[in-house]
Amino acid sequence: MIRSLLLNPTARPFTVMAGSIVVLALIDRGTGFFFSMGTIFSVMQLFATFGLVALGLGLSILIREFDLSVAGIVGLAGCIAVMTGAANPWLGLLLGVGAGLLSGLIQGIIMTKLHLSSVGVTLGGLLTLQGMTYVLTDNKTIGYPNISVALDLNAPIAGLVSVRSAACLAVFVLAALVMNYTHIGRDVIATGSDRRAARVAGLNTDHVVIGVFAASGAFSALGGVLLSYSLSAASPVALADVLATAAAAAIVGGVSVVGGRGSPMGIAAGVLTLCILRSGLSAIGVEPHVHDLVTGFILIAIAFLDAPELFRRVTSWRLAHAERDAAQTKLQ
Amino acid sequence: MPILAVEGLTKRFGPNEVLKNVSLTLEAQEIRAICGENGAGKSTLVKIITGVHLADAGAVLVDGHPVEILNPQHAQQLGIALVAQELSLAPALSVLDNIWLGNREVPLFHRRKRFREQAQKALANVGLGDLPLETPVSQLSIARRQLVELARMLTRNARVFILDEPTATLSDVEIERIFSALRALKTEGKTVIYITHRLGEVFQICDSVTVLRNGELIGTRRTNEIDRANLMEMMLGRSLGEMYPEWNSEPGEPMLVVKNLAVPPIVQNFDLTAQRGMVICLAGQVGSGAIEVLRALAGLAYNATGDVRVAGKTLPLRSVAAAQDAKVQFISEDRAGEGVFLRLRVGWNLIATRLAEHSRFGMLAHDGLRAAAAETATAVGVDRARLRSQADELSGGNQQKLAFGRALGGDEPGVLLMNEPTRGVDVGARAEIYRLIRQFCNRGYCLVMASSDIEEVLGISDVIVSMYRGRRVATYRRGEADVHRVLADITHPVEAA
Amino acid sequence: MSNVSLRSGFLLGGIRARQIVLAVRILAGGALAIFALSTPGFTSPLSINSLLNAISFIGCVAVGMTFITITGNIMSLALGATVSASALVFLASLSLGVFPAFLVAVLFGVVITAVQGAMVGYIRANPLLVSIAGLSLLIGGAALATGGQRIYPGGEGLQAFKGRVAGIPIEALYFFATVVIGQFVLSWTRIGREMVMVGSNLRAAIAAGIDTARTITVAYMLAGAFSAVAGILLAARYGSGDMELGLGYDYTAIAAVLVGGTAIQGGSGSVVRTLIGVTVIAIIATVLLLRGFSQQWQYLITGLIVLAVIMLHTIGERR
Repeated sequence: MIRSLLLNPTARPFTVMAGSIVVLALIDRGTGFFFSMGTIFSVMQLFATFGLVALGLGLSILIREFDLSVAGIVGLAGCIAVMTGAANPWLGLLLGVGAGLLSGLIQGIIMTKLHLSSVGVTLGGLLTLQGMTYVLTDNKTIGYPNISVALDLNAPIAGLVSVRSAACLAVFVLAALVMNYTHIGRDVIATGSDRRAARVAGLNTDHVVIGVFAASGAFSALGGVLLSYSLSAASPVALADVLATAAAAAIVGGVSVVGGRGSPMGIAAGVLTLCILRSGLSAIGVEPHVHDLVTGFILIAIAFLDAPELFRRVTSWRLAHAERDAAQTKLQ
Repeated sequence: MPILAVEGLTKRFGPNEVLKNVSLTLEAQEIRAICGENGAGKSTLVKIITGVHLADAGAVLVDGHPVEILNPQHAQQLGIALVAQELSLAPALSVLDNIWLGNREVPLFHRRKRFREQAQKALANVGLGDLPLETPVSQLSIARRQLVELARMLTRNARVFILDEPTATLSDVEIERIFSALRALKTEGKTVIYITHRLGEVFQICDSVTVLRNGELIGTRRTNEIDRANLMEMMLGRSLGEMYPEWNSEPGEPMLVVKNLAVPPIVQNFDLTAQRGMVICLAGQVGSGAIEVLRALAGLAYNATGDVRVAGKTLPLRSVAAAQDAKVQFISEDRAGEGVFLRLRVGWNLIATRLAEHSRFGMLAHDGLRAAAAETATAVGVDRARLRSQADELSGGNQQKLAFGRALGGDEPGVLLMNEPTRGVDVGARAEIYRLIRQFCNRGYCLVMASSDIEEVLGISDVIVSMYRGRRVATYRRGEADVHRVLADITHPVEAA
Repeated sequence: MSNVSLRSGFLLGGIRARQIVLAVRILAGGALAIFALSTPGFTSPLSINSLLNAISFIGCVAVGMTFITITGNIMSLALGATVSASALVFLASLSLGVFPAFLVAVLFGVVITAVQGAMVGYIRANPLLVSIAGLSLLIGGAALATGGQRIYPGGEGLQAFKGRVAGIPIEALYFFATVVIGQFVLSWTRIGREMVMVGSNLRAAIAAGIDTARTITVAYMLAGAFSAVAGILLAARYGSGDMELGLGYDYTAIAAVLVGGTAIQGGSGSVVRTLIGVTVIAIIATVLLLRGFSQQWQYLITGLIVLAVIMLHTIGERR
């Protein structure tokens, strides 16, 4: 049963998440560092930081593309919000998310109308967005004067989540509802599963691609805005390793790299797993580098288990072994 | 009132006139076959009717009114539906979702009862009434997937169904399923256009057949008024004999001896002996195991087991390198996916298997390679001037010749395994390929091929091995079998040998 | 006019397209050259020097990345970390002597990427995922090994990788050597040719009898070797190292590969193209700097130009 839970792609993110909680609890041995409200809160804070980016990136992986520009949008949106939202934080939010939406739209349009691969376009997008961030901030960290916003965003609700992480969860729930109950979800999966077939069936796959990238931009931007507000500062060098972490979270979350499989809730589980590992491990007092090692091992394991040729190689090897044994017995 | 008609349809691509003044009419409740060799104009005709191309001259009439069909969506609105060879289902989605995929009438919140009910009804109409709607399409066989596509078309109020080579990859049981669905559609008042190379099926399911040749309409006949030979003559414009070169083959010593070959899950206990200078043909439909046997002998099956000897030496299975060392070469049934490097140059394609011969200490000897490429090009009839062109600029027939060229490695003739060597190849190139095959024979190669085209099997082979469900049914020498015998073997054998 | 040709309106067919693309590339190159040469101070020794420096470090990694892309494995996000880690290994091994340290560091880079390549080659694990895993493991492993401290040279000998020879910075010479070796492997060796075929159509390469698993693994190993060289050069330049050394190199490297014209899906391209890509990017950055654009604007404009060039290449390649 464990095997099927691990191998079944829909169940796996939740299994892995449960597994990491169990492992950490065992390591913790009841000292209470892990299982505390404080840990859950910090997990959720971390979740809010990466979650939306992972959601956006995960959706782009779902349709067999890859949005490299998410890291750039996080920084740019945060800077735009901080710079324009001093008087009215909602304005900053709107402009920041709008910028993310626009960047996703433009990249999506370029990709579909010119039939380009997303890697090239979003790479150019990433560099351009980072450049814009540098230009806007003049390469300095910009402070956000409205401290009350930061306090409000990070205020704990029932000790478990903050406004920020609750907002993030709400976006995930909304995304899950859209994917499950509207035909948008069906269209996205179809585009990822077999784009040519979907197009012949009458779906406008260009629209789907553009929509996914616009959403990816908007989600990442929202994440960036909320992060900058809560730190009361925006920096051009915001989250350097966000891409790797977000991709890892999406894939642990069950998004298939060959497209057509994945869900927002799965991605949430993936993000939570990585956040639980990170927060949990530091709560127990393990050194930071262990997170990277643990994340790395989990990813290698998934890469291994999901590898399409694994079964064939093993079978081939087994057959060769059996033949050699048979030949030897014949000689004897 | 004919439900669909074309009058004087003409279409040109550059200097080529691919359709010349074609006119035909279709009534409701009719199953019409359209037959013709590749390049005869069938696909162009279909593309005009389904809105992919616009004709240069002539008219398309739906219910007696002339219409200009602007795009595939428009064609669907007019009730014309195409089920192409490459299906348009998304494997990750359920049957229900696939049926409604791309349908503009579906609102945002698409999980409504009426859509379920309509889908259920459509599925019942094609014989899939007891298929759960939530089944992921990836779990369905190809035949059932085709039926799901038919169901989708029904929900779009299609009246004319065009099926393009629907049975090319189906087993007989599945074919019968499709036929039942088509008969059900006919009873409902629909019209079916059935495009196929399989002449037997024309007489099994169709009411009438239209033959195209070289862009011209040769004629339309009711299927109960003609027979196979008539049909073939209409299609080819010549009798069967001229396609296949004359020869006298002298069998050499046994080159390839196969015992107990098993390729799970299809092939079991397969034996074969093949001599130099002969063409042995494994005749079977898709799923009969013929293709799998050859792939296994070529080293491409990861789970094949058995005792295979080439020129007396044991051939290790499951390794392409070992096969090539034993001078066993392979031509794939999937030309674009496995046979040709489409975006590489013709020259490189021709010598893809010869890199080891022309390298010293790991370094390539480019002049040797160039010479080899030129030589090989000449040997298979590819124009040397095309050596620097990209392979995807060549026609299907010429690309297939590249695959042959690759197999010509070295001086020692070996074993040549060919899967469906003339699939997707037009008439002219086919004759050339058959000539090539005989040439290889005369050089001393041992050729084993797998084909589902019975005419081809009868025309080119010295020995025919009929296969059904992974086992050998019977073996015939040239002249011992005829079309009916072989067809019977590969579809409903009385006893498996 | 058929609907199909209407839709593909502005695309040209076949040979004419290739000639036009070539013409556009020559024109663009010419424009860049004029722009560069007309910039005051561009040809000054100082600017040429800094240009060569910029090209050399990134260039080595980009050459390595080229092999990964050509074999159809898109890119690796772990090469930057490989650069840093190799630098650390080099510095730490200097106590064994310069040459042994060089060997150890390069061997380290090769082994790290060989493991990734083997996973991708033998069992077709997803290359992007494997590289992300590699990245995490390298960062974690390095933190474990160094305790977060900067690594200083364990011995003498950095001079071998610093300074100049006949007026040319030694880094540039090493880079040039990697270009020569890389292009040689690609054009003149059998395994290099096989890499192109593997990237063009993996299944056809398997059917043609090519040992695709070994080919892919070797491609990754080359990437690791060249990245290690970049790490060694960086370590020599800065005299010490930490994992920040190679930060961001992956993106600039793949940008250089794409700007040079190697296709992202593999099966075509060359090391020389990557050399051109690296040079173009570096020239643009230098010209912008000399013309008074602040670093921020450089970054932005470079990004836009990379996007434009990538679009240009792909438009030309389509038929």
